Amino acid sequence: MKILTTVKKVVDVELTIHVKDGAIVEDGLQYVINAWDENAVETAVQLKENSGAETTLVSIGGGDNTDMIRRCYAMGIENGIHIEDPTLGAADSFVYAKVLQKVYEKGDYDLVITGKQAQDTDNGQTGIILAEYLGLPCVSNVIAIEVLDDQHIKVSRSGDAGTEIVELELPAVVTVDVSINEPRLPAMRGIMMAKKKKIDVMDLAALGTSPDEVGCATPKSEIAEFLKSDTRQGGQKFEGNAAEITAQVVDLLANEAKVF
Amino acid sequence: MAKVLVIAEIKQGVIKSSTTELLSKAKAIGAETAVVAIGSNIESLIPGLVSAGSDTQYVADDPGLELFSAGPYASCVVDAAKQFGANLIWFGFSESGKAVAPRVAAQLDAACATEITDVTLHGDQIEVTRPAITNKVMQRVKVNIEELVAVVRAGAFEATEGITGTENVIKLSPPAPDLKAVIKELVSDASGDIDLADADIVISVGRGAKDQAGIDLVKELANDLKAGFGSSRAMVDGGFMPHGKQVGQTGKIVAPNLYMAFGISGAIQHLAGMNGSKVILAVNKDPEAPIFNVADYGIVGDLFEVVPILREEIKKIRT
Repeated sequence: MKILTTVKKVVDVELTIHVKDGAIVEDGLQYVINAWDENAVETAVQLKENSGAETTLVSIGGGDNTDMIRRCYAMGIENGIHIEDPTLGAADSFVYAKVLQKVYEKGDYDLVITGKQAQDTDNGQTGIILAEYLGLPCVSNVIAIEVLDDQHIKVSRSGDAGTEIVELELPAVVTVDVSINEPRLPAMRGIMMAKKKKIDVMDLAALGTSPDEVGCATPKSEIAEFLKSDTRQGGQKFEGNAAEITAQVVDLLANEAKVF
Repeated sequence: MAKVLVIAEIKQGVIKSSTTELLSKAKAIGAETAVVAIGSNIESLIPGLVSAGSDTQYVADDPGLELFSAGPYASCVVDAAKQFGANLIWFGFSESGKAVAPRVAAQLDAACATEITDVTLHGDQIEVTRPAITNKVMQRVKVNIEELVAVVRAGAFEATEGITGTENVIKLSPPAPDLKAVIKELVSDASGDIDLADADIVISVGRGAKDQAGIDLVKELANDLKAGFGSSRAMVDGGFMPHGKQVGQTGKIVAPNLYMAFGISGAIQHLAGMNGSKVILAVNKDPEAPIFNVADYGIVGDLFEVVPILREEIKKIRT
């Protein structure tokens, strides 16, 4: 089984993010692997270990992704592709999906595993759109995968009414939730080994496509501006005798907030 | 004139409030409205779809649609959207909506936006706002084409009181099943617990509850109030609560009338999952806990001491 997994370099959400004049202040930002993609990588590596799959990752954009891709190598991924092109700056999910389609078509893969969303955009669209473009079956928000045979996998998806058990015919696309596994910490030996491994960096032309073909110049939507989050303000905070302040708060909930 | 197609959110034979909320917003922006309902044995829901505020009802009613399957559901939405000539297609904030919306957008060559909190029209120009980066910023997104498929964030739009529609039912032919992704089974979230997404009140526990005894104590309050019972990530990672009960950016995003957080410090991922709630009460021992920065009412104290008093006081005012 040949697996393609996607990884995106994204802003670290643990740090404070400032917005000025409609844009995010770049100063002081740090970048990390998208949390959901780390689960996708772990899923791929476990399938390699348990079912003998061959694993390849692809990353699009992000500038220098060497550290992130090496970290994935150290986790157990075998091959890495990085698509970098100056025209990808304003790419939306559809553009990403078109680029991934080109990568997929070059590789004869059986299974594509993506994180269910990226923590910078929180869109959750690319993997599903990729499946549509490829005409492949797709299940999103997957929390467990089991290989049935060479042509079939069984997945569990966290749905609205419970856990949906779906049998998928390969090739297929799945997008995974963080609850599918606990990504491993790469061992020091793996990190050292990863430094020697090659990363296949290419632009759109080298991939056999063009900015026009993947829609770089004509995104369906674009971010006009960033705004500060309309974060709510803290209200009244009570300290002191538990019985007194609790009674006071219940009175406010009933008579001021009118929730009871 | 804008034409908005709303995907009815149906759960266990009941039309959920998001359907009315989305239709209310559609009428508020002056759009013509239609709704598409997908399921099995849903004929009896038609009056409810009308009173939710729709002027046309597309109904896909087929035994093959009893269990959710993204492919066939997307086909129904695309069919309805084409017949109606919709330029705006809105889903409520559900797992099925998030799975189907990108498929519909790809098939209709429309734009796609998830978790939108507002939408505005300037002539043909569609704009939406939505949170990004785990709720740390908002984006104003300009749509460059005339069709948009969107998933609306829970609690973003309010229902208009006294909204009504007109009955004009159009039956959709059943879609082909997805033979390459076959749904085998639905394992229901057992326990008969109140669904976090539907609950009027949601009560969550965090690390401050320590262990099962702490969880049980807070659960009693949830039972008193018939509240949904959730958790922070810490209690899920600790094995005390199931993943399906996790409130946060990586779990469930909720927007109830009242959210009560017990022993939850308020990590950014948790706040992103509940800060759309109308009223927030937080109980935490640490006066500096970040949860107090979003709570309307904060009690600095030990939950083991506060919860029993809360139960008594709430009982008093409710009787």
